[in-house]
Amino acid sequence: MSLRDRILDLLPWSIAALFLAGVVHIVSILLMPYLAPRDAYHRLLEATKAQQPSSTGVVMLDATAPGDQLLPSEDPALAEGACVYDLSGGLLRLTATVDGENFLGISFHSAVGPVFHALTDRGADKNKIEIVLGQAPQIEDLEEADPEDGPPPSETRVTAPGPRGFVLIRALAKRASDVERARAAVNAVKCESFDVAD
Amino acid sequence: MLQRSSPSPGAQGKIGSALRRSHQIYINAFWTAACGLALGLAATWTALDAGYGLGPLIAGPWTAWPQTGGPEIDPYARAAFARRGEVPLARELGLAFIARTDSSGAPLSGHCDYIISSPAPPARFWTLSLLDLKGAPPTNDTQRSAYTSAEILRREGGGFEIEVARNARPGNWLSPGNARSFEIALHLYDISIDAAAKLDASAFPSIVRQACA
Repeated sequence: MSLRDRILDLLPWSIAALFLAGVVHIVSILLMPYLAPRDAYHRLLEATKAQQPSSTGVVMLDATAPGDQLLPSEDPALAEGACVYDLSGGLLRLTATVDGENFLGISFHSAVGPVFHALTDRGADKNKIEIVLGQAPQIEDLEEADPEDGPPPSETRVTAPGPRGFVLIRALAKRASDVERARAAVNAVKCESFDVAD
Repeated sequence: MLQRSSPSPGAQGKIGSALRRSHQIYINAFWTAACGLALGLAATWTALDAGYGLGPLIAGPWTAWPQTGGPEIDPYARAAFARRGEVPLARELGLAFIARTDSSGAPLSGHCDYIISSPAPPARFWTLSLLDLKGAPPTNDTQRSAYTSAEILRREGGGFEIEVARNARPGNWLSPGNARSFEIALHLYDISIDAAAKLDASAFPSIVRQACA
């Protein structure tokens, strides 16, 4: 068999290998968020089970320490806390008070990662942040329960893309002496589960 | 009495050749599957190691991926965050820039000293921190791995310099500890950078290599 015949013989196999490589690449990229065992949601879920959340429902994430960080690549200048939620048990109400001077960032993430809602302290209304998170039917039930001629709801209502996820709360410590204030600001955020009937 | 007739030598050759062909097909199919699997996984590994998906914003040595901070995050970025266990910074909060090289394009090395100099892009607050390649602050004796815009020591006129070196320096100093390599992260909070616009590298801090051990 000549070299040319040999190459022609292997060409279909090479094309098939490249096609298969493309399929494996695309499938592995798409499945990664669902199969990664140590993604952020599972790390936070583990931390929530390991340490009892405070009475406000927030789990404080330890200050980023060498080799011991719960979430990698987070800004070491931030104090952080998280609320892991499961909306199948009811809606989530998050309330926070801000002082208008110090940075407080709140971001809502689905279990597979994407941010679907976020705001900073500058988005607060009269120094208060109140957000109700629910799935589409729960938010509809909430709106139906609103009195027809009553005032508009004071809270911002956000529809979650799925039942599970987490809220990450970040407060900037402007300097080393500001760390305790930043931690207290995170710990003062409240995450409560409630039903429409409540 | 019936006698089994043995195949002629020509027929034996044809059967042997057919068996070899069928055997060869199995071998080719095996290698095709193995190569396809290996190539596909290698491409995934390389793509996830390169950064956080599509549409990076580049300004000199600094790179950010603004589309990761919203629901329109692309599948590559989602996979990269999931594999590393990281959480994207929401666009409404700010933007995270990472530098893995100095301003000349050489990879950052723990054996070299660097000077990071102003300016910094306009933001309500910014922080500048060192991270090792696993995303943790490097182990050092100073218990400091970041400066914020509120605490940094500034020259007259508002400019600043941060020295990155293993040995203590006067002024703003960050130590990479014993890390062989590291990254520098610039977090900008409450900003109004247009993700679609080309960034001006001169508005970002420069990272200039000094002596190497």
